[in-house]
Amino acid sequence: MKSKDFFRLIVNPFTRIAGWQALVLGLVFLVVSGIIGGFGNVVFDGVIDSHLVKQVTMLQSFSYIAISLLTLVLVMWMAGLFIAKGFRFIDILGTMTLSKAPFLLMAIVGYFAKMPDMNEVMKNPMVVFNSMSMVVLMILSIPVLVWSITLMYNALKISSGASGGKLTTVFIIAILASEAISKLMIYFLM
Amino acid sequence: MLPTNCPSCQAQLKVKCLKCENCQTEVSGSYDLPLLALLPESDQQFILRFVINSGSLKEMASELKLSYPTVRNMLNDIINKIKTDEK
Repeated sequence: MKSKDFFRLIVNPFTRIAGWQALVLGLVFLVVSGIIGGFGNVVFDGVIDSHLVKQVTMLQSFSYIAISLLTLVLVMWMAGLFIAKGFRFIDILGTMTLSKAPFLLMAIVGYFAKMPDMNEVMKNPMVVFNSMSMVVLMILSIPVLVWSITLMYNALKISSGASGGKLTTVFIIAILASEAISKLMIYFLM
Repeated sequence: MLPTNCPSCQAQLKVKCLKCENCQTEVSGSYDLPLLALLPESDQQFILRFVINSGSLKEMASELKLSYPTVRNMLNDIINKIKTDEK
């Protein structure tokens, strides 16, 4: 495979895979992320969030993932209905699930990262830069976020068949709304 | 591939003459090109495969090794092109 084709597949696998296939593959990534996150105290507490916490149970780890995924899927589905018609819910469900796959990288790196003492961080925030794994985690979070949002955009584009400025505008509103709703749901339910 | 646009000014071409290879009779006039002939070759191939696959987008997706919504979007693009050409 040429590097250009490989890059295309990385940022938009949905031209090749969608629906049930994408859902199953996406769930595999999420389950592995949830297990590693549970052991490594990394939580995915939002549609585009991941944080290192002091302690998290396996149930909490999967609950955070379930809430953020359901919120993302439902908001994107409604966004799709607003800009297009005649698309399948399973395509939105599958592609959006797979678009969260990059967060597995955060779970893996977070597993090896050591959470600095919060009292020390409050006294001197620069203390977080003493830990190499924390620095790697912070640096990695930016490309992972960009990659995941790109995947979500392409997921909505391919699944709904919409394009142009309307798609971009609705996507930006939808991603912000889903992030806010998922945060509120986690705040009230957890 | 049948030319559909004028190489000089890009205006849509018309059929001026048709010839019978059997008796050499020529029919002259000014006929519109069929709607499907106005589509790019790739779109014509897509329609051909679509008909051969009994109009099944799932079969098309499997044959082209593309996802179902991608194939559906390709079909929607062709439908839009045909609608534009019809006007």
